[in-house]
Amino acid sequence: MAIRWPLVIRRTHKWLALIVGVQVLLWTLTGFYMVAVHIDIIHGDDLVRPPVVAPIDLASFVPPARIVQSAPDASEIRLQRFMDQPVWRAQTPGGPRLFDAGSGQPIPDLSEAQIRAAARRIYSGTGDIVAARLLTTAPLEMQARKPPYWQVEFDAWNRPTLYLSPQTGELISRRHALWRVFDFAWMLHIMDYDDRSDVNNPLLRVATWSALAMALAGAWLLLWSFPRRRKKKA
Amino acid sequence: MKKIRFTPLFFRRIHKWVGLILGVQFLLWALSGSMMALLDQEKVGGHSAQASHQHALPAGDYIAPAKLALDGPVLGIALRSLATRPVYELRSTTGTRLIDATSGAPVRVDEQVARDVATMVNEAPIRKATLLAEPNVEAREHEGTMWRLDFADAENSSAYISADTGRFLVMRGDTWRTWDFFWMLHNMDYVNRTSFNHPLIVFVAFGTLWLSGTGFYLLFKSFSRADVRWLRRRRKSAVKLGAG
Repeated sequence: MAIRWPLVIRRTHKWLALIVGVQVLLWTLTGFYMVAVHIDIIHGDDLVRPPVVAPIDLASFVPPARIVQSAPDASEIRLQRFMDQPVWRAQTPGGPRLFDAGSGQPIPDLSEAQIRAAARRIYSGTGDIVAARLLTTAPLEMQARKPPYWQVEFDAWNRPTLYLSPQTGELISRRHALWRVFDFAWMLHIMDYDDRSDVNNPLLRVATWSALAMALAGAWLLLWSFPRRRKKKA
Repeated sequence: MKKIRFTPLFFRRIHKWVGLILGVQFLLWALSGSMMALLDQEKVGGHSAQASHQHALPAGDYIAPAKLALDGPVLGIALRSLATRPVYELRSTTGTRLIDATSGAPVRVDEQVARDVATMVNEAPIRKATLLAEPNVEAREHEGTMWRLDFADAENSSAYISADTGRFLVMRGDTWRTWDFFWMLHNMDYVNRTSFNHPLIVFVAFGTLWLSGTGFYLLFKSFSRADVRWLRRRRKSAVKLGAG
């Protein structure tokens, strides 16, 4: 008996679709969300103010050689602003450390009041701070970033949340509702339901190749069915 | 006017016509997605420049910043290592300059410096060094002039080093190059390969929703008793076996 290819391929298309149908629907839905909402909005670029750039007077600061003595494992010493006050920031294996640029004295970890004030300066919106917490365990939305850090939530429809360094008050991350939806969509898209980061997981590999086979079978059916539609009806 | 009737045939027609118009892109999405899932994420790499070694600055007799020869207001200053040499990185309105932190002499990121920096990230021998006036497609996330150092290793790696700051920018290899081709097919930004929010992809993604939506609906209409006959037959024989 000759193989009836249209039937075989139609069955392949149907059965593969039965297996991966839900995932294909999820891929197109999550894909549509990810292309429709601009990535700059997802990144929360509009949540924060651009940093102030102003000329600095090098003569008024202790030289960085002094900071190297205080922080001997530092790989980089950079001048930056900490609440309008110039500071030397030392990058060390244990994290960044701040030193008063005028006196060279180390600046202790920030208090909650200082963190709140720093967050207020960074945040571009008008809402109030709902909560500020020092986290020692990483929430899911901070992915691989190592705590501790301050989590400062603001009052707005999209629940903006800033993450600040307890040593320097610098912004580490910003999160908001659309980012969280994106992250969830990304999880569904790459089918890594634990860490949302492994794009090589076996489940995804099987599903993608099955979907490709389904699509190829569909394409074959399409090319076969259009010119012969009348004949088939007869 | 003929009234539209929402029958399975109507949805089958949508499925076919959307498939005819956007089917090729659906195929390309399935293919590029499959390939990106197959290519080892670790080998693709290139997502962060933090992999480079961070050496501690030696305690030393650095020139005080106040004594540096300056030609205008300074917006930012950093003391850091360039390969193994401590340098000041000065940012002004005209750009970024490097100054040797021990001698005070200006430092230019020439080929030798670029090679020294690249060697700290990859120990393979360097085949070629090229100065790029503008970022190429591999270093598109970065700005300014840069050095490209090609290594003689299995991945044909290329390190990109900023010609302004001497900082290591990114490493690209053959796995990344293959991945990037499929990423281009996936994001449909055939020129810059970066944006996945352009009108073309939004339009096609919206259309594809109809392909998958009607297809999912048709799943419920396309299976008949005949399709699962083999299942029932097997169960029947299993029952018979059990009874026997």
